[in-house]
Amino acid sequence: MTRLPRFARTAWVATATTALAGAGILLLAACDGGAIGAANDPGNTSGQSFVSASYNSKFFAPGSRELAPAVTGTLLTGQHFSLKAERGYVVVMNFWGSWCAPCRQEAPVLGSLATHFQGKDVRFIGDNVLDEPATAEAFERTFNISYPSINDPGEQVALAFHNSVPPSAIPTTLVIDRTGHIAARVVGEVSYDGLKALIGDVLAGKS
Amino acid sequence: MTAGVAGVAAAGTTGNGKAKFGPVAWLRWTWRQLTSMRTALVLLFLLALASIPGSVLPQQGIDPGAVTDYYAAHPALAPILAKLSGFDVFGAPWFAAIYLLLFLSLAGCVIPRAYRLAKSSRQPPPKAPRHLSRLPQATSFAAAGTPDEALGSATSLLRARRFRLRTGDGWVSAEKGYLHEVGNLLFHLSLLGLLASVALGGLFGYKADKLLVTGDSFANTPTALDVFHPGRLVTATDLQPFSITMTNFKASYITSGTQRGEPASFSAELRYSSQYGGPQHRYDLQVNHPLNVDGAQVFLIGHGYAPTFKVTDGTGHVVLNQAVPFIPFEESGLSSDGVIKVPDAKPEPLGFTGEFLPTAYETITGTVGSEFPAAGLPRVILVGYEGNLQLNNGQPQSVYSLNTSLMHRIDYPIKLLAPGQSIVLPHGLGKLTFTGYKQWASLAITYDPGQYPALISALGALAGLILSFLVRRRRIFVRVSDGENGTNVELGGLTRSDAAGGFEAEFTELTAEFERELGQPAPAEPELVPAQSKGE
Repeated sequence: MTRLPRFARTAWVATATTALAGAGILLLAACDGGAIGAANDPGNTSGQSFVSASYNSKFFAPGSRELAPAVTGTLLTGQHFSLKAERGYVVVMNFWGSWCAPCRQEAPVLGSLATHFQGKDVRFIGDNVLDEPATAEAFERTFNISYPSINDPGEQVALAFHNSVPPSAIPTTLVIDRTGHIAARVVGEVSYDGLKALIGDVLAGKS
Repeated sequence: MTAGVAGVAAAGTTGNGKAKFGPVAWLRWTWRQLTSMRTALVLLFLLALASIPGSVLPQQGIDPGAVTDYYAAHPALAPILAKLSGFDVFGAPWFAAIYLLLFLSLAGCVIPRAYRLAKSSRQPPPKAPRHLSRLPQATSFAAAGTPDEALGSATSLLRARRFRLRTGDGWVSAEKGYLHEVGNLLFHLSLLGLLASVALGGLFGYKADKLLVTGDSFANTPTALDVFHPGRLVTATDLQPFSITMTNFKASYITSGTQRGEPASFSAELRYSSQYGGPQHRYDLQVNHPLNVDGAQVFLIGHGYAPTFKVTDGTGHVVLNQAVPFIPFEESGLSSDGVIKVPDAKPEPLGFTGEFLPTAYETITGTVGSEFPAAGLPRVILVGYEGNLQLNNGQPQSVYSLNTSLMHRIDYPIKLLAPGQSIVLPHGLGKLTFTGYKQWASLAITYDPGQYPALISALGALAGLILSFLVRRRRIFVRVSDGENGTNVELGGLTRSDAAGGFEAEFTELTAEFERELGQPAPAEPELVPAQSKGE
């Protein structure tokens, strides 16, 4: 007698679907990294990744450097700042906030390096994020920071670097060469010797 | 198992011999094992098991500070765990191996099935069996005309009913309900689509949260986001480069009745641009009415108050002059707590913990609270500390908690402050003024390129499932032969497990129509053979 071809085994399909749904949920959970406690802590500013500098310092050889964007901004002092106008100098740009503990720890290092390179073709510029000017200026008084900072509460400067070498955490320090290209990036706290060597190399035009 | 050169040769030339289990046979066996149901379940279980260390151990991507603490607490164990990706479980090679095998297992099961279903949906009906009376549904009757005429009218009748036909010598078989197979196929292909969509979202999507105070702005860049969960292949340059400024936030509440204090509506007035220096647009952001910028969706998920303070330190400098977001800890009055840190105050750093009460009350016994979520009578109450905030040691800390272990309580009378009122701190520590309040909104930013493909796939799977449940595949066979009273017509019917029922009725109806159409020879009585049911 004729037999029908074997039709789908429904039980199998049902189990497979359940497994699939389960896998999907798990994968979603896995891939988004698990937002522990994030929902109840809407402004968890401390949740940003602060990582030790030694692992996150990157030097770009002269041939493979991205051009820094032509950012402009207003300094805490009220003056206008244009990155493009700094061509010819090695620019050390530090993204910081007074609330950020690693920024407070690295501030003396940046302050003394700025003094060390005074008179050389190096310009230090800060980019202060998420602070009001009064708070930022209090920080500068505490750490005797003599170089200027852009007043950038909305992080427009960080956004301008979107297509080149975006800062991925606060603090981030960029070293920009004389031609306006990004030569190095340090994510997290800088060390005195490490950043001094980086600036020295860029200043000397080393690759 | 004695797979040698001969085994390779045999497998290579003749495929699989039972005795010679060559590499090809091994591969085939492995594939069959991998794509089996049991393996899929084991892999699923393993995946659940493998994610446990991810919740037990601190994870680099979520809480780098906790990882550093773990290193300090377990100096011997931590490097070993780091080698085993213990601090990055969801990015570990072994974790990836499990879910890739699971994907492979599911795809390997679904693809061949889809192929078989596609083939089966194009198959012509089988030949009519010799003895139709053995089928679950069967009947026979005598018809007028020659067998060929009877067969002809039977064929056209079945064709009119849109059966797929196959004819032979004295028989015709007809089949209907191929949509069952189409539905099945759609279901399986949709499952594959769902797999791909989930992968797409997991690799290229991201989620982020941002708390934004009225008047402030932020850029969609990792440093500006409070919480950022990128997909596996997302880097900072992949984020849609928009900026958002919140110009106003409005919340209204039910003011009377039993629902007094429940939120009636929220709306955040935004100005946004989709790129650095781009043109500004306006958007009225409301709950469940997200803003879409280049595929990224911005949801309004929460709100609260940010009282504004001005702190002048002992040296006369203004060391803080800004809004400080407080987090609500109860719904009915939106009483919120928060922390003010003034690390750069001289002579001593200052810290305050306290509450913001939108519509404050104070009982005779001194208990304070808020009776309504709107800011009808905004008050703050603050406890002050001076000393080391421990912010300068490089360890990240939450802006919502104050570590007072190295601080001293400042002695001043604790009372509710109205906007404009100040606390003058003793010992020349300075002065704090409660200058007013702003509102904040918390925004969730999500980008999931797999969202719509997943929705379409899920709908497809559902449609396919419904189709395959509702439509059943059924066959009708007709055999004609010379009989005593003209032509003898035999009818047989067959269906697969008839969950929905109704095939018997359809068959009876069809039989009646056949008899009407094919006509009966005038003199003889119709001889109906009762339907024989088999195994029912």
